[in-house]
Amino acid sequence: MAIKVQIPGPLRPLTGGAAEVEVEATNVSGLIEALEARHGGFRERLLDASGDLRSYVRVFVNDRDVRTLGGKAAVLPPGATVAIVPAIAGGGGDPEGDVLQNPLF
Amino acid sequence: MRPLEAILAHARAGHPFEVCGVLVGRADAGGVAVVEAVAVENRERTAPRTRYEIAPEDLLRLQREARAAGREIAGYYHSHPDHPARPSETDRRMAAEGLSDGVVHLVVHVDGSGHAVPSAWVFRDASQAFEEEPLEVALPVDGEGIEGRRRE
Repeated sequence: MAIKVQIPGPLRPLTGGAAEVEVEATNVSGLIEALEARHGGFRERLLDASGDLRSYVRVFVNDRDVRTLGGKAAVLPPGATVAIVPAIAGGGGDPEGDVLQNPLF
Repeated sequence: MRPLEAILAHARAGHPFEVCGVLVGRADAGGVAVVEAVAVENRERTAPRTRYEIAPEDLLRLQREARAAGREIAGYYHSHPDHPARPSETDRRMAAEGLSDGVVHLVVHVDGSGHAVPSAWVFRDASQAFEEEPLEVALPVDGEGIEGRRRE
């Protein structure tokens, strides 16, 4: 069963600009491999050196974070929609400044 | 309110805490025109004066709403209360770890008097750094105000 995958802007160069692609997969691990097979580069962008999902990349299956569904082993229901979403964070303070302003320290 | 005005007003209202949001754009033949700046809750709880976080759940919702309206997320903004209008090392490090290649970030310095200074940056994986862009290139809008088109 085809799985629809929503692609964030920074990864669209891998899909020729497509915002959504369809691949065949039954779990998240298989989905990443299917994406890699069709659009090389996904594995490196989504997984860290030890093969785990990168902490700054979130994957949602039908709006549920896969970290609550078993991570890479999360099962994809037939016809599921998968969204790859970047985690966006930062800030103006340097690490030392954060410590000084943190009341816990 | 034009997107840049909305961003500066958000930064002023949020001082001394960092505020954040997304740039929503509409793709057209020439690139992406930014049509709206949407404020998003800063989910950072430990150091909200010097850090910000846009929750992926919020981003997922905004992405869906944008697509339903024929738009897309074109970039992000956040404020630096009493810190310079340029990406910090924290910004750079977090962008380098995430999916940020080619993504526009507006960084707004704001102080307690309401003085606000915007700057625009694009992160490049190749250099692992933010490169400054003219505001009118990073934040092109239709109609009144800043004109232009962001190249894709």
